[in-house]
Amino acid sequence: MEESFDHIAAAAAKSQEQATRLFERLMKVAQPESVYSEPVTSGELTVITASEVTTGLGFGYGIGGGTGTFPASQEEGKEPDTEPKKEGQSSGSGGGGGGGGGSMARPVAVITISSQGVEIEPVVDVTKLGLALFVTAGSMLLMFSRMWRMSHR
Amino acid sequence: MDQSKPVFEWQNRSGRPITASGFTVTPQSQALVSRWPHFGFVWNRPAAVVVERLGQTQRIPVYDLTRILQWGLLAISAVCWIGFLLLWRQRSKEMH
Repeated sequence: MEESFDHIAAAAAKSQEQATRLFERLMKVAQPESVYSEPVTSGELTVITASEVTTGLGFGYGIGGGTGTFPASQEEGKEPDTEPKKEGQSSGSGGGGGGGGGSMARPVAVITISSQGVEIEPVVDVTKLGLALFVTAGSMLLMFSRMWRMSHR
Repeated sequence: MDQSKPVFEWQNRSGRPITASGFTVTPQSQALVSRWPHFGFVWNRPAAVVVERLGQTQRIPVYDLTRILQWGLLAISAVCWIGFLLLWRQRSKEMH
């Protein structure tokens, strides 16, 4: 039983090392290269895109094991034997782990470099604004309906 | 996991300078890094670009217009709801 537990513990330690290495690679997202693209040049115009990047990672693992003794068994309906029964030992061990992660990127602006200067043009996400406007309008409608009811009491 | 590093950390970094059309542009980013024993996330956003030409340097911030408008709409909604709650309270006091 100890051998199997050691095997599980070794596997868990190896998984933890792999997760830690992956976690350190995640930290590399905090670099400007993740946010700014490579410049694209066309004629006298150079364009660089700027994005917002969000990345998350989580993992967990657990191992366990134990030993126990089970009492001497007695069959139902039978009188207990006079001879003492031998107690047995049981043991068990197990381990498990899991992890997950996600990443999201969204364009924020476009940087244009030309002979006339450097310009930063924001990128507007119409879908997100539409959703925010929808939620705002819904809450305002709810509020106005309550005000109308309040005024007509 | 390095336990000596803070749980939350702001990192301001400058990227590789890019030269084009006589301008040298250095991108800058700002990242919020969070480290927990079994969880971590990174939020990285463009902060500004530093433009250099003929010895003159100018820092131009990068604004996230979508996020600003989202927060603006949220603020309008919150202000309206606060006003409504204050009015509700006043009406309740008048009625009682």
